[in-house]
This record gives sequence, C-alpha cells and structure tokens, in this order.
Amino acid sequence: MSQNILTRNNVKVAGNGKQSILFAPGFGCDQTVWKSVSESFESNYQVILFDYVGMGNSDTSAFDSDKYSTLSGYAQDVIDVCSALDLKNAIFVGHSVSSMIGVLASLRKPEYFSNLIMVCPSPCYLNDPPEYFGGFEKEELTGLMDMMEKNYIGWANVFASTVTNNPNRPEVALELEDRFCSTDPIIARTFAEANFFADNRQELPNVTVPSLIMQCANDVIAPTAVGEYVSKHLPHNKFVQMKATGHCPHLSHPEETAIVIQDYLKTALVKQIPKDSGVRPNG
Amino acid sequence: MCGLMDELLESAPCGFLTLSKEGIIQSINRTLLKMLQYNKEQLVGKHIDAILSKSARVFFQLYFTPLIMKKQVVEEMYLSLADKNGEDIPILLNAALDNNKEDPIIVCIMVPMRRRDAYENQLRIAKKVAEDAKSELELVLQSLEDKQEQLLVVNKQTQNELQLAKKIQETSLTKAITTDSIQMETYYKASSELSGDIYGFYQMNKDQYGIILLDVMGHGISSSLITMSLHSLFQRLISRGISASLLMKELDNHLHELFQNSEDVWHYCTAIYLVIDTNKKTIEYVNAGHPPAIFQDLNGEQQALKTTTPPLGTFEGIQFTPNKIYCKNGGRLLLYTDGVSEPLEPISLFSILKECSADSLSETKATIIRSLQGEDKQVQHDDQCFILIDLK
Repeated sequence: MSQNILTRNNVKVAGNGKQSILFAPGFGCDQTVWKSVSESFESNYQVILFDYVGMGNSDTSAFDSDKYSTLSGYAQDVIDVCSALDLKNAIFVGHSVSSMIGVLASLRKPEYFSNLIMVCPSPCYLNDPPEYFGGFEKEELTGLMDMMEKNYIGWANVFASTVTNNPNRPEVALELEDRFCSTDPIIARTFAEANFFADNRQELPNVTVPSLIMQCANDVIAPTAVGEYVSKHLPHNKFVQMKATGHCPHLSHPEETAIVIQDYLKTALVKQIPKDSGVRPNG
Repeated sequence: MCGLMDELLESAPCGFLTLSKEGIIQSINRTLLKMLQYNKEQLVGKHIDAILSKSARVFFQLYFTPLIMKKQVVEEMYLSLADKNGEDIPILLNAALDNNKEDPIIVCIMVPMRRRDAYENQLRIAKKVAEDAKSELELVLQSLEDKQEQLLVVNKQTQNELQLAKKIQETSLTKAITTDSIQMETYYKASSELSGDIYGFYQMNKDQYGIILLDVMGHGISSSLITMSLHSLFQRLISRGISASLLMKELDNHLHELFQNSEDVWHYCTAIYLVIDTNKKTIEYVNAGHPPAIFQDLNGEQQALKTTTPPLGTFEGIQFTPNKIYCKNGGRLLLYTDGVSEPLEPISLFSILKECSADSLSETKATIIRSLQGEDKQVQHDDQCFILIDLK
C-alpha cells in the first residue's frame, strides 16, 4: 500500500535531517516548482516532495473525478503520503491552494503536522459581501476556466497517457509525460473547480497546528486583505509580509522564501525538536 | 544596424514586450502600444497586470510565471489583453527568458487573434453541443438496450406461452380414422405458433363419417382463439349426428353471435363439411366459401366439391343446403385450405392428385408436402392444412 502511494503521488525524499518538511505545490503545476527552495533545506531536514494525483508524474490512472472534485480528495493525498512515510509532526509548506489542503489534512490528522506554512493562501476566492472580499466575481473565475480551456498546456500528454494506457507498453506513457503544468480539460479543470469555488473560511478557527502566512505584495490571486483575514481567523498564526511580488514567490524569489521559512522555524519549532538536536529555544 | 533593427521592431507586425522577472514592463513596441491605445510612458515601469484582463492576470500567475521560470520558454499561450478602454484583445503569446544579462529579462511577442478566437469559440460551442448530443445518445442507446433486454425476456415468456398454446391446439385435433372402408392422412402446419385452420373427423355411426375443415380469416392468436371456440361447438354437434345443414347453420350463428357487438374484431370463416356414407356410397357436403375439395374416382375422374354458400359469419339467414355426390367404387378425397393451394399456383392440386393416382395415401401426402416446401422456400405466410381420404 505505502509503496503504491509513493508511486501514485510521485513522492521524492531527499536530505539528512530528522525533522521532515513536506512541500506541496499549488494549483496547475507539479513539485518541481519547489526545487530552488526545497534544496536549501536538504542539509538540515528530510525534504519530501510529491504531486497530487493527476499532476506532474503522478499516476494519472488513479484520478477519480468524484474524489478530486473537492479539496478533501487532495487532503486525502497529503494524509496518504504522510501515512505511507510514517510521518509525525512534519512541517507542511503549501503554496496557494495547498495551504487550504494542508488545513483540511491537519484537521483530520493533527498529529501528522507540527506547523503549517502557507504561501499565498486564500480560503475563498469569491467575494461574499459585505464581510468578505476574496477578490473575484463568479464571472471572472469562469473566464479563467475558459482561458484554461483555450490553452493547451500539457494536453497532448493527457491524450497520450490515455491513448497509451496500454499495460503492455507502459514505457510509452513515461516517455511522453511532461506534465509540469497542465490546463487539460479533465484533471486540471476538476482541480480548478475544486480550488476556485471552495470556501474553507469555516475551518480556519478549528486548526490546532501553529501556522505561518507568507504574504506577497501585489498578489492578484491572494490579495493582502485575504491573507490578513486568514491570519485573523487562525489560532497560533504568524503573518509575514514578503518583499516578493506576485503569486509565486518560491519561483520569483526563492531565497527570500527560504529565509522566511527558516526564520519562522527557528522560533516556532521549539516544542517539536528533541533537545539533542542542537537547536535551542529562542528567547 | 542595431538602430535599424530597433526601428523595425518598433513597427513590427506583432506586439513586442520585455518584462523583468517580477513582471514589470521594461520596454514595449509601438505596434503593441497602438493596439492597447496607451503611450509608452503610461506602461513602462508598470506590472504587466496593467494590460491584462482580470482572468488573464490569474492565468499569468498560475501558468506563465511557473513555465517561464522553470522551462525558460512559453509557447502559444492564449491570453486576453485589456486595452485602455477595458476592451478585451485575444492574443497568442510566445516568451523566452533571457538569462544572459545581469538582470534576466523576459522577451514576449504577442499576436492578436480576434478572428481565430471567434472561430475557436464557435468550435468550442459546437464541440460542447456534439458532446452533449453524444452523451444524450449514449443514454438513449443504453435505455434502448435495456428495453430490448426486457423485450427479449418478455418475448421469451410469450414464446413459451405460445408453445404451450400450440400444443393445446394440436391436442384438440382428432386422430385420423382408419377402418375397413376408410383411410386418412392429415397435414397441419401453422404459419406462426398458432393456426387459424382446424379440422375434425367423427364416426357418427357404423356407416357415416363426419369430416370438417375450417379456415378462420387471418392467422395467429386471434384466429386460433376462434377456431377453438368453433371446435368445441362442432365436436359436440357432429358427435350427436346432426345434419350437415344444421351444423353449418349453428357454426354460422355462433360467429354472428360472437361479433354482433364488436364489429371491429369481426372475423369470418370458410368451411367445408362432408358426411361420408360408406354403405350408401354417398358424400353429402356443404362448402361455405372454402376452396373446392377434390374427389377422384378409381378411373381418375375428378370432381370439384365447389363452394355452395358464402363463408360462415358473413350474411345473416344463409340456407346451407347440402350437395350430394356418389362414389360407388370408392375413390380419393382431398380437402385443403388456401394456405396449401395458393403457394403451389399455377400448379393445381388437381394435377398433383392425378399424377399420384397410383401412389399410396402416404406417398401422395409426401408429394404434396414436397411441392409445398419447394414452392415456399421463404416465409410461410398462411396456415397450411390438408386432409387426404381413401374410400374403399
């Protein structure tokens, strides 16, 4: 079972530390987006990367359009990966939608996580006036779906993997796979709908795991007001405003991203690190 | 040279744009500015979001940024720009990350694709319609297959019922009589499971035999039900030794009574009834619209026992007066329904009977069946029944 999960979710483990740190990619792309950041953790941590089912080099045949039509299906992927690796008190770093997937996973299995680090989180993209402004009207998100449909990133490979879903020639599918990013009409579309129409505002106050929010400037997808909303409603939360702009600081500003995470962990990980690890409580 | 290239790029037939890694516009050519209705100062130094529609800003973050940072190229990306007035301009974008410089820059070219976009939208709508129609068709097909499955089950049950009914109908047929003075062969074959033909033979006393052959119009279940109702009536009456005219009158009345209040299911019936007296050497008969029975004497002389009255169940008040022929030296009789005579045409049963003069009764029967099978290779359209009788 655990080997199946490791293959299914294309799990990669690197690094030498005792403490595990799990990097979860955001919507649209696979684990390689984390490479520049995650490599800097390998000397002190056990670094775990994975792809959600349907993305990257995961086993697309495991994709179930019912299961993955809500974020809880993706949260189950995270739980499955933690369980397969027998993780306890792992640091979870999630970009964008993975922040909320981490929230859902931690609510189900709090013992798996020591901290949730949320890069550009949003619990709900739709505006819900007068109290909440996620930043989007429904038509704008529908327009995004249309734009996905009119782009063909990773599409040929979807068809290739469907066409080559031939157990006698598995190598064909492997050769053709490059699903770094995808806008394909089945898997990516399902994920997009699960993500952009989700509303996880109610779950935030129930989170027990300490968390960090990393907020970029000028983020059209997760504006600062939304990050502040998340921070306000999460218990044990720290909010950091980054210099990085946009929605992908791990790609555009990997150094700053790594430093912010490391700074946070220095102060926050006190209770999880055993005393002989050399890390001392801060203050 | 460089200046010339720059000048050419300014007015190139495509939008040209360079961005910093953060997406800040570094330079933009005249073609693109004209397209967007901005001037250079309004855009240089701004984030590319300034010229993207809201959906495109999100898409840019979700796909452009990861692709350009990780793959260094973006090919054929569809985006919609927003011009100064907020009008959407669909474009196709190619971009490359130039890492050679100290500050990496992203070089983009954009080609407007309004007509292609409109056409693609039409295609997408058509595709959606086709897909919807396809899934609807699949549903219909599925339900059709389910129905067919049910029909097969029902049909199987009906077939079983019909087989049972066929056995019951055949059980009601009387056995051929063989005595010193009379010998018989019969053939009875329904076009579907049930037949509209029926016959009966009864020895009424030492010398007299009553022989009846009926053909209810049509065939199948409805006709067979009428034959069964007529059967129970003639069986009772002939056994009682009733006269030929009275028997036909009773059967005629029975049909009139059956359908007097239900004209829409009205059926009539042709019938021939013979009373053979082996002592007096006579054959009395009434033929109600039935094909003529054939009597052939030992010399091969043939007589047709032609129709004497309209069919049963047609006109009220018919008198069924019997005709009589003599058969002093014996001979051979053939009674049949039109299901036998019609497929054989133009060959007549008269000539077959003549050719078989020297043959035994069973050989004659076999000859007629062979002729029928030869002529009627395809579907049997009507019920078939014939009776051969030798009088000694």
